[in-house]
Amino acid sequence: MARNSSKLPAPSQTARRTLRVLGTDISLLECIRNRAAADLGFNIEFEVLDFPSCQRKAALNPDAYDVYDHCFHNVGIVWHWGALQPLDTNLLRCWNDVGPLTKQGGVDKYANRGFGDAPMSKLYVQPDHALGPDERRYIAMLPTVHNFDSFGYDVRAFADGGPRRESWAMLFDGSAKGRLALVDEPAIGLFDAALAAEAIGALEFENICNMTPYEIASLFKFLRGKLDEGFLTRFWTTAQESAGLLLRGEAAIQSMWSPAYGMLGPVAERVREAVPTEGYRAWHGGLGLARHVSGATLRMAYEYMDWWLSGWAGAVMARQGYYISATTGVTEHLSPAEWNYWYDGQQAAEDLVGVDGRTIVVRKGARRSGGSYLERARRIALWNTVMDEHNYATRAWARFVAEVNGRAR
Amino acid sequence: MNPKRAPVETSKRYELVAAALRSNIVSGRLQPGHVLVEGPIANLMKTSRAPVQTALRMLEEENLIHRFDGRGYLVGKLSAPVAPLRCDLAKLGLRIPNEIDSALQNRGLWERVYEEVESAVSACLIFGTFRIIESELGDYYGVSRTVVRDVLGRLHERGLIEKTQSSHWITEALTAQTVRERFQLRQLLEPEALRLAGNRMAFDRISRALASERAKKGAADWRQLDATLMEHAICRAPNRPLIELIRQNQVPLAAASRALTKLGLPEDEIAVNEYLMLFDLIVNRAIDAAATYWQNHLRTIAEKNLARLKIVAVISDPPSAAPYLSVRDPD
Repeated sequence: MARNSSKLPAPSQTARRTLRVLGTDISLLECIRNRAAADLGFNIEFEVLDFPSCQRKAALNPDAYDVYDHCFHNVGIVWHWGALQPLDTNLLRCWNDVGPLTKQGGVDKYANRGFGDAPMSKLYVQPDHALGPDERRYIAMLPTVHNFDSFGYDVRAFADGGPRRESWAMLFDGSAKGRLALVDEPAIGLFDAALAAEAIGALEFENICNMTPYEIASLFKFLRGKLDEGFLTRFWTTAQESAGLLLRGEAAIQSMWSPAYGMLGPVAERVREAVPTEGYRAWHGGLGLARHVSGATLRMAYEYMDWWLSGWAGAVMARQGYYISATTGVTEHLSPAEWNYWYDGQQAAEDLVGVDGRTIVVRKGARRSGGSYLERARRIALWNTVMDEHNYATRAWARFVAEVNGRAR
Repeated sequence: MNPKRAPVETSKRYELVAAALRSNIVSGRLQPGHVLVEGPIANLMKTSRAPVQTALRMLEEENLIHRFDGRGYLVGKLSAPVAPLRCDLAKLGLRIPNEIDSALQNRGLWERVYEEVESAVSACLIFGTFRIIESELGDYYGVSRTVVRDVLGRLHERGLIEKTQSSHWITEALTAQTVRERFQLRQLLEPEALRLAGNRMAFDRISRALASERAKKGAADWRQLDATLMEHAICRAPNRPLIELIRQNQVPLAAASRALTKLGLPEDEIAVNEYLMLFDLIVNRAIDAAATYWQNHLRTIAEKNLARLKIVAVISDPPSAAPYLSVRDPD
């Protein structure tokens, strides 16, 4: 891509300025904030909200933040509310380091592209201001953290019959009846349920990531049936909450985010992250720029984004199991044992600590479920997705979640 | 329910006015020569002037009244000239049959209730499927079941509500699928209507709209342009059922679009220019090109509408759902 000579305004010489970042606890960690502020020389404020609140605020109240740290699957929503401005890749020093998963749609030509909102489909700003996969100078979000999720389960509940083929069908196979939990986010948890419903042969979707109203209604009918049979215990919204469900034994199988595996303490040994034969549910985070940002704040926002991909933050993300889109600088900040475990799928040569630098989250000898980055990234079944019927699905989802969590209370 | 009342209840307002005047002419309370002017009749019947105007034209066609040199009409046949008799209608002791009187009043009420219910229903289409509880609707407005049925009947006719197998009235959720289907229908019908309209279009009106929009600085109103397109181009197609179908198909789309704008969703600025481009083609009599252009444009608008519909998901609840609407899961 040709570079032009566009320049950013000169930095302010007076008071210390503040950059306001809106996001979720996936990436807005206190250690990140402190380090970024120290490295960049300006104040940074984090506003950490749960998924739906964050998205709502980003869409409806763009003046309340400068940088939006969220996922590609919902950037379309915030974009269409007119809350974000395009990012100029000519002003992003890190742009050339961003890997092929988002720029080309897959880690290599053999990788499963997956159904649904692959980040590439929302990456580039097209001439008519819509978002699309055709490479352009301007992008909607800078791709950052990502992962390939599955479900976690208590091996004791599935011990009978010896080693099994891991499949999303395990959610409803009865071994952990009454102790199934799902993540409460319609663009995420709905697909865990849908993958499971398809895997047991109860439903079949023509396009699992773009369901028709009829298919959505059928999915909820199926879930209500499973609720009546006593499968579901509850829906969770944060990694901590999901870890708590396993620790207390309330859940024995559930949607799971990577950091939760490091929070299991005494029960970690018996919780396994599945490698489903159908593949993973992938997601990709990114950084967007609020429409009002200009002048010195604009410069700070670009510096902050470049900083995110320069290595230190990527290393922190790795310690909670997340990958970063630009790995060039990450190796400098991870020990070889850490790199080999998190990215390369090798056995941990030593105990590995989490993001706090103290808590051991991986025991020596352990191997990351699913293998190396490339192996995992090639097995994407689908992406977290905002379907055409998202509005319809979201409302049906909210009613169902309220029903389940209401019973659980 | 009194079966006799139904025809009166559902008849049009001008027919009610005409019926009242007719019965007074026939009974002789209105004598040949009495001057009938819109204003006083409208006051007496507690209605607006438009239906009175139509009613008077009807009676003229029936040869019960006729025009004369002065303002208004004279009672009696044109063939039997009489001197104008000007007097206060209110003092003539005109008899307005009970059922007509109550129907007239109901109709006023009906219109008010209808407008509010239509707007409430439109606003909830994007929030899912709702059941309309008839008794609650009646209680809410303090109106009879007849009025409620009238209102719901009209909503049904306009395609905004449906009856389920269990005889419940529901507002069918506006889904991406229905938006896509309705836009497909628009793409099939509207360009064809433009072609059929051909030289029948009101080119002067379109040309005027184009000029005034171009002279304007700042935000143009695409709704105004859309109304011009409908009235002076598309609806000039000499095929009534086609026009009916086009109008009917647009009702829920327009209703939802208004509701989305009310919720603060940004409008699409590009749309205005596309209307102007279309008007340009029409004014230059490039009808076939205009039809093709409109077809392509409808495809683009469909995509934008779908994107717009997705993003309402961030608004958690209908901001002001009426008490007679209750949310339900689809069967």
